[in-house]
Amino acid sequence: MKLTPESKVLIQGFEQPLVSNYAQQMKAYGTNVVAGVSSGSGGKKDRDIPIFDLVEQAVTAVGAIDTTIIFTPSYEVLDAALEAIAFGIRQIIIVSTGVPPLDLVQLVRKAEACDTLVLGPNSPGIIIPGKILLGTYPQEYHLPGSIGIVSRSSTLTYEIARELTVSGLGQSICVSIGNDGITGSSLLQWLQILDEDENTDAIVLVGEPGGSSEETAARYIAEAIDKPVVAYIAGIHAPVGKNWGHTGALAAFIGRGMDFGTVQSKLDAFKAAKIPVAERPSEIPELINQALTKK
Amino acid sequence: MDLLEYQAKKWFREIAIPILPSQKIDHPRDLKTLKVPYPVVLKSQVHTGGRSKAGGVRFVSTTIDAIAAAQNIFNLPILGELPEVLLAEAKYETDREFYLAVVLDGVARRPVLLGSPQGGIHLESAWDKIECVVVEQEFSPFYARRLAVKMGLEGALIQSVSAIIEKMYRLFVEKDLDLLEINPLGVSAKGEVMALDGKVTVNDRAIERHPEIAAMAAKMASRTNNKEKNGALSNWDSVERHGKIGILANGTGLLMTTLDLVTNAGGKPATCLNLTNGFAVGTGFISFEERLEQGLQILTQDKGIQVIMLNLIGSFPTALEVADVIANFLQHRDSSNGTKSRALHHPRLIIRLAGNDFSAAQRRLIELDGQNVPIVLENLDEAVAEAVRLAKSITARRL
Repeated sequence: MKLTPESKVLIQGFEQPLVSNYAQQMKAYGTNVVAGVSSGSGGKKDRDIPIFDLVEQAVTAVGAIDTTIIFTPSYEVLDAALEAIAFGIRQIIIVSTGVPPLDLVQLVRKAEACDTLVLGPNSPGIIIPGKILLGTYPQEYHLPGSIGIVSRSSTLTYEIARELTVSGLGQSICVSIGNDGITGSSLLQWLQILDEDENTDAIVLVGEPGGSSEETAARYIAEAIDKPVVAYIAGIHAPVGKNWGHTGALAAFIGRGMDFGTVQSKLDAFKAAKIPVAERPSEIPELINQALTKK
Repeated sequence: MDLLEYQAKKWFREIAIPILPSQKIDHPRDLKTLKVPYPVVLKSQVHTGGRSKAGGVRFVSTTIDAIAAAQNIFNLPILGELPEVLLAEAKYETDREFYLAVVLDGVARRPVLLGSPQGGIHLESAWDKIECVVVEQEFSPFYARRLAVKMGLEGALIQSVSAIIEKMYRLFVEKDLDLLEINPLGVSAKGEVMALDGKVTVNDRAIERHPEIAAMAAKMASRTNNKEKNGALSNWDSVERHGKIGILANGTGLLMTTLDLVTNAGGKPATCLNLTNGFAVGTGFISFEERLEQGLQILTQDKGIQVIMLNLIGSFPTALEVADVIANFLQHRDSSNGTKSRALHHPRLIIRLAGNDFSAAQRRLIELDGQNVPIVLENLDEAVAEAVRLAKSITARRL
C-alpha cells in the first residue's frame, strides 16, 4: 500500500459528470494528481491537470503511476482497469457503479495474478485526513487522528466520520470497499492494513446486509487483531433478502443456511467475537472511548 | 431478471444443450396444430417454483384432453401469477435425474459449478449432498470433469455430463448470468442426457449490453407495469412500507441507518427512497438535483405520508445547493396550488443536512414564506426524534 502525498495519481474517465470537481478537490487536499485519461480529449488540460487519450501516454509523460481512480461508465470499467494494469499501475480505486459482476470476476483474477490492489467498485475511495484524498470523500467531516474506519458504505461512512470528528476523535484512514456482490478487496484485507498501520489505534467496522464479509471479519478480529474494534451494521429493520440494486442475487446458496447475509447473522458473529456493536452512529465515539480506556 | 422455462430452453437449443421437442402455446386452440407427438406434457410458464404441486403441469394423450387441460392451466394462478403461455413438450422416460448449476458466488468471487446425482424431486432431501467446484482461473473443461467425478459419475457419463456443464458455463458468461440451473437433467437407461427443466437469471446490471435480452426485459417490464400501479418506483432503489414517515437519503447504507433510527425511535416508516442512483444503467445521467425533486414529488403525492424525512450528507452538491433545490420545489408546489392549497395534502419536511455551509442552508429554508416551513437540523438523532414526534402529533390531531 503506497499512500503518501508524493505518490502519483491518475484519474480515468475524466469526462464524466463531476469528475473535474473531484479532481480539483483532491489536488486542493494535497493529493498528487498527475494526469487524467479521457479518450478523445487528449492534449487538453483541466486547469493544471493534463488529459491524455491513453494510460500509456500518461505514463510516458509523467512517469510511473502509483494509483488510478476510475470513474468511467459501468461497462467500460473492466477495460479501464486492465489498461491501468497493463501500464504498471498496481493500486486501482473504482468509484463507478453498476459494474456487471462477471467483469469483476475477470478483474479479480487478473489483479490477483499481478499483485494489484483493487478497491471498489462503488467506492468513495480512501481518505487519510490532513494528508491525502483518493476518491470522493467530502473533506469537511474529517479530522486527522488515530481512528481507522473500514466500511461497505459511502455516505454512511461520512456520517460516522462526522460523529467521530464532532466528538474530537480524528481519523487515521477511512476506506470503503463498496457494497457490490463482488468487490475488488474485502473488509478483511483492509482490517489487515489498518492493523499494521502505526497511526491507527482503534478501528470502526461498518457493515450492511448481504454477503458474509462481516462474519469473516469478525472471526479474523477475534483471532488476529489486538487493536480495539467497534462495529456498526445498518439495516436491522430493512427487509431481509432485498437486493438494493446491488448484486444480492448471488447471496444465499447451498449449505450457507437461511440466515446467510442477514443483519442478525452479522450481529451474532460480532457477539461471538466479543466486538462491541453500536446501535446508532452517534453511539460509536462513546464505544471507541470505552474500548481505548480499557486497553 | 428471471427467464421463463421456454425462454431458457430456447437458449439451451442455440448452444446445443439437448432438449425435448416442444412447442410454445399462446392459446388452447394452438394445440390443434401441435407438431409434438402425443403423449405430451403441458407446463404453465410462470416464474415461481412448485408448478407441479400447484397443478400447473399435466400429462395428456389426446387433443381433446390437451385443450381442456390447457384451458385449465391458463386460468390457474400459481402464487398469484397467471401464465401468458404454456409449453407443450414430449414425454421422456428417465432412469436417473441429476441437478446441475452454474452460479456466481460473492464469497469465492468466482462462478461456481454445482452438481448432484440426486436431482429433480430428490434434490430437496439431498440439498447437503450437492458438490461444488470453484472456477478459480479462466474456464477450461477440466473444471466440468472435476465436478462430474465429484458427483460420483463413472464411464461415459463423465464425458456426457461434463459436456453439458461446459456449455452451461459458456452460456453463463456469454449472457452475463447470475444463475443457470438444469434441474432435472434426465438420464435415460441408455445413458443419454436431456435438459428437462431450466432456470436462468440474468444479471440486471448487464442487461443493457445485450440488445436481445434488453428487448426481452422491456417487453416484460411493459407487462408488469400495466398490472402494477407503482411504476413510478420502478427505477428507484426503495423500500415500501406503509407508515407515516417517508424517507429520502443519499446512499444505501445511510438510507438503512435512517430507517433503523426512525423505527427504533418508535416511528413508522413509509416509502424509503435512495437518492443516489447507484444503479443507473440505461436510464442515462440524471443529476442529483433532478432526482431529489423527483423523490420529493413521489413522497408528496403519497396521501399516507405525513412527514418526509430527508437525510443528506456529502460534498456535491453542497448543503446550500440542496437547500436551493428544496426551496424551489416548495415554492413551486405552493404557487401552483394557489388558493386551494389548504385542502391539499402537504407533508411536513424534516431536513437533515451537514457540512460547512449548514447555517446558510438552514437560513435559506426556514426563511421561506408559506405554510409548513421545513425544519432543518444538523444532528441526525435530533432530526429523527423531531420526525417521529411530528408524525405522532399530526396523527393525534386527526383522530
